[in-house]
This record gives sequence, C-alpha cells and structure tokens, in this order.
Amino acid sequence: MSYSNNYETSYTSYGGGGGGGGGFIPGDGSQNSPSGGPKDYTRDTVRPVTIKQINDAQSVGEEFKIDGAQVAQLTFVGQIRNVSSQTTNLTYKLDDGTGSMEAKHWNDKDTADEPSPGREKLVEGAYCRVWGKLKSFNDRKHVVATIIRPVEDKNEISYHLLEATYVHLHFTRGPIGEGSGGGGGSNGAAQQQDSGGHGGAALAGHNSVAKRVYEYLRTTPQTNEGLHQQDIASNLKIDAAEVSAAGDQLLADGLIYTTVDDSTWAILETD
Amino acid sequence: MDHPQTPRVLAKHLEAFQYKLVRVLGRVVQLRGETAVVDAGGSINLILNRDCHLALNHAVEIIGKVDQGLNVKVQAATDFGPNIDFEASNAVVEATHRHKEIFYDDD
Repeated sequence: MSYSNNYETSYTSYGGGGGGGGGFIPGDGSQNSPSGGPKDYTRDTVRPVTIKQINDAQSVGEEFKIDGAQVAQLTFVGQIRNVSSQTTNLTYKLDDGTGSMEAKHWNDKDTADEPSPGREKLVEGAYCRVWGKLKSFNDRKHVVATIIRPVEDKNEISYHLLEATYVHLHFTRGPIGEGSGGGGGSNGAAQQQDSGGHGGAALAGHNSVAKRVYEYLRTTPQTNEGLHQQDIASNLKIDAAEVSAAGDQLLADGLIYTTVDDSTWAILETD
Repeated sequence: MDHPQTPRVLAKHLEAFQYKLVRVLGRVVQLRGETAVVDAGGSINLILNRDCHLALNHAVEIIGKVDQGLNVKVQAATDFGPNIDFEASNAVVEATHRHKEIFYDDD
C-alpha cells in the first residue's frame, strides 16, 4: 500500500525535524518552563483528528481535550481553500468536509532561505496534511503547524479519516478487544483508558462480582479516599460478604488499595 | 463558517440528502458533455459546470447539491487520479455515517 508508506516517511521526517530543531515548535519551550517541572512526555502524542473534532475540542486552560483526552500534537488532512501570506507566517484555510480550520505556518528565520519541500504545491484546491499544535486566540482556534506538506496520494485522505475514527473509538469505547469498556462518558476517558488497559488484562482471572466491584470503583465519582465496601454493596445490590471477598481478591492482585481503613478502597492507578 | 459541511455520500444516500450539499468520491464511467456518470457505490448522474475537467476512469471528488431528480449539480470537482482504493473510500463514507459525532453536525 503506497499510501501507508508515504505516511511513515513523513512521520519520520516530522520526528527528525522536531527533535533536531530544539524549540522548532513555537511556544513549546516557553510554555513549559514557567512550571519548572520536567516535561510530561507521556502526553506527548500525535493524534489524528477531523476538523470538526478540532472545532469541538474543549479548552482546559492552555490545553485542549478531545473525547476527554488531552491533545498535544495533532494531525489532520484538508483541502486548501485560501492561502494568505503574512510577514510572519503563512495562513492556510483548510476544509475537510467536516468544517474549516486555519493552519498557521510561522516563518522560521533559520530556514527562511530554504523553504520546506513541496511548498510550491500548497496552492488553493490542493490537499495537504498538517502536523501541529492547537491554539486559541480571542476564542478563535487555529493550528500552529510544525509541518504542512502536500498529499501526493489521495488515498491518504481515506486513510486519515479512518484512522481518526479508530482513535476516536479507542478513546470513547476503549481499546479493541475490551468490549466492556463501553458506556463510559467522554469525561475521564483518559484515565479510563490507562486503568482500563491495566485492569482489563489483570481482571481476566476474576469472577463477575470482582469485575463489577472494580468497574464500579473505576467509574464512580469519588474523593481520593475511595469508596466504602458498604456503599459498593448497596449500590450494586450485591451481598456485603461477596463484595468483601471480591475486594480481598482485588487487593491481593494489587488492582485496588485500602485508604482510610481496611474496608475503604480505591483503584490503584498504574501511571 | 464560510465553508459549510459537506457530508460524504454514496449513491444509496442521495435520497436522504435531497436539496443538500454533499461530497461524492466516485469513478468517472461516462462523459456526455454537460453531464457525466460516476460510480460511487452505484451510479450517480452529475450535472457539470464549466470548470469541471473530468477524466474517464479517474476518481473525482465532487462537491455539489442533490436536486429533485437525485442528480448532483456540481459546484467543485477535484481529480483524484486513477489509483484510488474505492473499498477504503466507501468504508470512510460508512464510518462517517456510523460515527457522525466526529464528522457532521445534526441538521
């Protein structure tokens, strides 16, 4: 499949560009330095999205969430509707059928003499793929693009939309092969995904009561003291002794831990 | 929004999108001057405008309006060349209707 190769190649060049540049991504350094802490690389992912998903993204301070999961870098494919050349950047208006979004490619004085390859193909009507970061200015979202390159093989458009769908379903319904992960709201999907991945495999050997207790602990809003086994028993309408036995099993396997006393439990997060 | 949403459709969806703006990816099977026929999970008649340059057997992406007779009146056409995997692109259309939340708003 030529288009998947195509994708791999560009992905590599993306990594090379970002890594080698050091501060090549505008705003990246300055945003993290005030906190003083080390950068949280676990969230540094590239997420394929549709433009509608970008328009629907919820802002949380400086960051954005899609399907309840924080987005760092994102990538999308669209048709160029307008190109406007500013002194400091090139702004592309992109349309993928689900909405419009502006992608700004800031001029980098180090590379100004050698425009990125394929730049001349980024004209109105052409399809392109963008990698970048979502920003908001005066309540208007735009993407600060690290890389914009023309889509040579149009199958990449299908590929991208299917990949975006797949990742959306991953966040809203859990990883493939974990059917029970469904039903969770979009809020907290990020945590669900982590614990779900862990619990899902480890829970395999447990009986249905233990699984329900675990699910209940995982999905019920609670303080960091967790939940008392009496509450769990009455809400799930399961005999208290059974819940207690299920809790012992989950404790023994390190899936939950006791908090204020032996009968108050919380999920042991693995991240 | 200056560029409205254009739901992706196949031939079988036309009825549900009458008088709406849609996006069709199909293979050009007939050219008849002012009209053309594309195959997009079934035949779709196109009413062309002057700016269309369709090539026989090439894939073409159409943005257009579905009329009363379920023809698509073309507003814009983009040539996608001869090497489009229609199995994948038709799967995309199915996915956009099944998981509409990330593609299109409700009317």
